[in-house]
Amino acid sequence: MSETKDIRIITRPTKEQIRQAQIDFSPRCTAAGRVNDKETQKMVQYILNFARKHSLFLLAYGTGCGAIEIPATLTSRYDAERLGIRGAATPRQADVLMITGYLSTKTLKRVIRVYEQMQDPKYVVAFGSCTINGGMYFDSYNTIKALDRYIPVDVYIAGCMPRPEAVLKGFAKLQELIQNGNAGNGECYRKNLDWYRANQQKVIKNWDFPDEYNW
Amino acid sequence: MMTTRDIIDALTRTFDLNADVLRDNQIRLKLHKKQVAPVLLYLKNQLGFIHLDHVSCVDWLEENVFELVYIVYRPQDRLTVLVKTKIDRQHPEMENMETFWPHMRTYQRELREMFGIDFPGFEAPKEFILEGWDEMPPMRRDFDTRAYVQRTYTTRPGREDAWSVREYITRRTGEKLPDFVKKYSRD
Ligand code: SF4
Repeated sequence: MSETKDIRIITRPTKEQIRQAQIDFSPRCTAAGRVNDKETQKMVQYILNFARKHSLFLLAYGTGCGAIEIPATLTSRYDAERLGIRGAATPRQADVLMITGYLSTKTLKRVIRVYEQMQDPKYVVAFGSCTINGGMYFDSYNTIKALDRYIPVDVYIAGCMPRPEAVLKGFAKLQELIQNGNAGNGECYRKNLDWYRANQQKVIKNWDFPDEYNW
Repeated sequence: MMTTRDIIDALTRTFDLNADVLRDNQIRLKLHKKQVAPVLLYLKNQLGFIHLDHVSCVDWLEENVFELVYIVYRPQDRLTVLVKTKIDRQHPEMENMETFWPHMRTYQRELREMFGIDFPGFEAPKEFILEGWDEMPPMRRDFDTRAYVQRTYTTRPGREDAWSVREYITRRTGEKLPDFVKKYSRD
């Protein structure tokens, strides 16, 4: 064994060997490679999670009254950017989808579309009691009552409306979940798509989404 | 400079109607449905009520009518006129007045969607705020919101008791509630 190792150090690697090594080091690799054992994976995941949790690009979907706390959270007084939280321009550039408040069925349709356009890993933070149990719109004919029936939610922030301190606490929780590898439900959404679709179609009457999972 | 007196004089000279003064600068007219369009046009073109403030609808379920309220405003003297009319609730139909003020369109679309009032000849898109709504227009008083919600949405368990906040506080503090408050209680 040791012989082969020595030879490898001395001789120049062939093109084939370099290619193989690159495949092995890529975290996507599933073939039995040297870096793909459990311990290394764990370390890679740790580093990835560490990086992810300190760079949360936020897509604030300001649906309800609670959206007014987002500027306060992001600007100089509470300065969420010191925790690595900042705004993103489009769904495809964002990591966190933030739903601030009640969602009418009309808005829900757009939110689902936005959520599906986001790249993995993606997280959802729901904000305010309206997203939890309908809040003060618990008997409104046009707002949904529990957001996690329609898209998976990582963190709920309770309050009507939650103050910026509570929002930051929610994000601290999200960071903790990311670090432990418990956040990010894109995979779960894809797996249970039928269940989510059935719930969504129950409230969205003029359903015109494509049938195929096409994003 | 015009006063409410002048306005009422000018109106009664031209139309057969009754007007009463609500406040210093507010006049209320209760008209027949057919009179509304000519009176509004007269107010706008002759008497300087150039601004349409608001159009709303009141659902008098017990009397089986909808009451439409058109509010117009004369900026020079800050005068307001409320033009009220009652229309049949079973076949609600009102004259299409989108040419009088451009934003009448928006009000009419809302009334059509939320109360189901028909405006013959009004060709704006059918959907306004709701999407794919196939029930009774939701702002009608006989639309059972609670039943619709229970039928359509799944709610998270834990809110069934729906305590009255006022009563919950009195239970804790031992305060005595006056009777008129109990009238609005949920139980
Ligand atoms: S939870 Fe309160 S503040 Fe937030 S959207 Fe609902 S009603 Fe508004």
